Amino acid sequence: MSEQPIELPPAADIEYGAEAPVTGQGRMEAAWGSSEGDEDMSAPQATQPTSTGHVFEQVYKPWQGTLNPRWMRNWAILRHHLLGIFKKGHRPWGMPTRLFVLIVFIASLSDAALTLLSGLIGDGSLHQLWGVSRDNLYGHVLGFFPRNVLYYPIVAALLVGSVISEDRQHGTSALYFSRPITRFDYVGMKFLSVALIQALVVLLTLALYYFAEIISLGRGWAWIMDTFPLFLAAFVSGMLLIFTYTSIGLALSSVSKGKFFPGIGLLSIVLGTKVLAVLVSTLFDREILYLLSPYDCMAHVGQILIGTQPTYDQYSWTWSLASLVAMNALALYTLSARVSSMEVTRE
Amino acid sequence: MVDELIIKTTNLTKSYGPHIALDNLNLAVKKGATGLLGPNGAGKSTFLKTILGLIQASEGEGTVLGHDIRTEGDAIRARIGYMPEYDALNPDMDAIHQVRYSGELLGMNPTIALARAHESLQYVGIGEERYRNIGSFSTGMKQATKLACALIHDPELIIADEPSNGLDAKAREYMIQTLTTTVRDGDRSVLMASHLMDDVERVCENIVLLHKGKLAAQGAIEDLKAIDREIEIHVWGGATRLAQALEADGLTVRREGRVMRIGHVGEDTTTRILACAAQTGAQVRRMHEYEASLEDLFLVIMENLGYEVKTSEDLLGSPAFARKVDAPAHMGGGGA
Repeated sequence: MSEQPIELPPAADIEYGAEAPVTGQGRMEAAWGSSEGDEDMSAPQATQPTSTGHVFEQVYKPWQGTLNPRWMRNWAILRHHLLGIFKKGHRPWGMPTRLFVLIVFIASLSDAALTLLSGLIGDGSLHQLWGVSRDNLYGHVLGFFPRNVLYYPIVAALLVGSVISEDRQHGTSALYFSRPITRFDYVGMKFLSVALIQALVVLLTLALYYFAEIISLGRGWAWIMDTFPLFLAAFVSGMLLIFTYTSIGLALSSVSKGKFFPGIGLLSIVLGTKVLAVLVSTLFDREILYLLSPYDCMAHVGQILIGTQPTYDQYSWTWSLASLVAMNALALYTLSARVSSMEVTRE
Repeated sequence: MVDELIIKTTNLTKSYGPHIALDNLNLAVKKGATGLLGPNGAGKSTFLKTILGLIQASEGEGTVLGHDIRTEGDAIRARIGYMPEYDALNPDMDAIHQVRYSGELLGMNPTIALARAHESLQYVGIGEERYRNIGSFSTGMKQATKLACALIHDPELIIADEPSNGLDAKAREYMIQTLTTTVRDGDRSVLMASHLMDDVERVCENIVLLHKGKLAAQGAIEDLKAIDREIEIHVWGGATRLAQALEADGLTVRREGRVMRIGHVGEDTTTRILACAAQTGAQVRRMHEYEASLEDLFLVIMENLGYEVKTSEDLLGSPAFARKVDAPAHMGGGGA
């Protein structure tokens, strides 16, 4: 604050007669006081305050909260991966993956949409073609090109690609294992999250397809009692498909540091073995190589579960089941062995 | 500061087949800041993994914050904050969500984890950059984010593996300051593994030195330094004669040209040095008690153990100013 004297007019200069001009000085003095004795006064004059800005102060803030138990930690992993498909702030799935999952989800609803359509327009032939039946339930999960070879295997390949390999690549395995997360919980939740995203595409659309028939055609309890075991069998077949693709895919992801190899590896295994078996079957009329194809083993078992006409007639379905069990066992063994070797200190 | 032990091991041994990574380790780490030192292959990583309960010790036992390392790994990892040496962040995530996720992995409620993530990132100096993808971060910001991940649940013990590695001077200074504040103001303990002796010396009051899986030294840095108390003299004329006279008088001498460091043997050491100087006609132009740095101490101990180690300058890739320090003869060194 600096102080500067203010010069006031001498009191003798002020006239109070009737002819005196109205200057407003009298009113000002009434309001603010007389100028008498103010001659030597000084008025304070404010100076412009200086802005100092915000100074960062490092303060350690303690936290007194309680950590939740194991299930909450596992839920965090599951939530992180699942919600990442839908919004930011969670696991950053790539845009191609999210887009392809959406496309396949919509495409997988085609039978549900056509069932609704046939119910709405009352067209029996259309319903015969698309309505719920043994073959169509099988077809929703395991049959019908391109669903069997393009939709679900590619969805699985895109999903499993980097789920474990990214933790090796970026060292984020340390983030998990330096916390009270066991290897079993880690791999279990990753497995479950990838499987659940696939279930959205495969099983949710299957359920919607089944309910579309009930709603559009007003099916009663008798029909439901008749067809529910078929739906359940298709559901179990779908779970088998998801489990197998996930276990093989994650095993490949666990031996890699990138997302390309696991994805292309899964597609090669699923499609390559199938193409090879088809070639051998066509050229030599020997179907035995289908036992090496995960897809064909699942299709064979699925056909038996749902009760459709088997298309593999040179060997029993139990061989396919045994082959499927062996494939999954090998994949899970590889997965567990590789995850056990993941480091906290360095990779 | 209370002298309670945060880490205690008794005959801790870890072997991988014939290779013994940790050999009968008897450690007692007090509350506060402790530096974990040792050359590559000394067993630091194995030690960290063992005390985190991630690998089972072959023999012996130990406790961290009162929890058994063999059976209570989960409880230990819930109460410590681990800052890994290498990148442990997803480059496609923004810092705030990465830190929040690290809190959720500890069992924190998502809302609380988010609030704490903001606090932790603010504390380590990541301001508005917290909304940026980690992939665009500098090394210093990544290190700070890793520290925020470790601090989110306000752990009692922070294990920081090479926290200032690869940082520029400013970021390094800030990291050191943050760790020091955490210990001093936060009343937390830090176990800091580092090759940078200066940093360890600034943050820690205690050190644990490992060598080939064995405990080479442990205790307060000041106490350990006192073991090698020396008097440094700058000599003009007759330095060689003086060195010989001092050695003849039973003193240990380390010499680099005109600068000599004579082992402190008692209150009369300075008198004996001056007497030798008078006898040989050498001029002592400067005489003072030499305070060894932690790096000197480290080098002396390691060289006495027969291990050729590099200085931190060497480790940082600039060996030009690496100091040549030999061990005193009574500790097995050859003298300079």
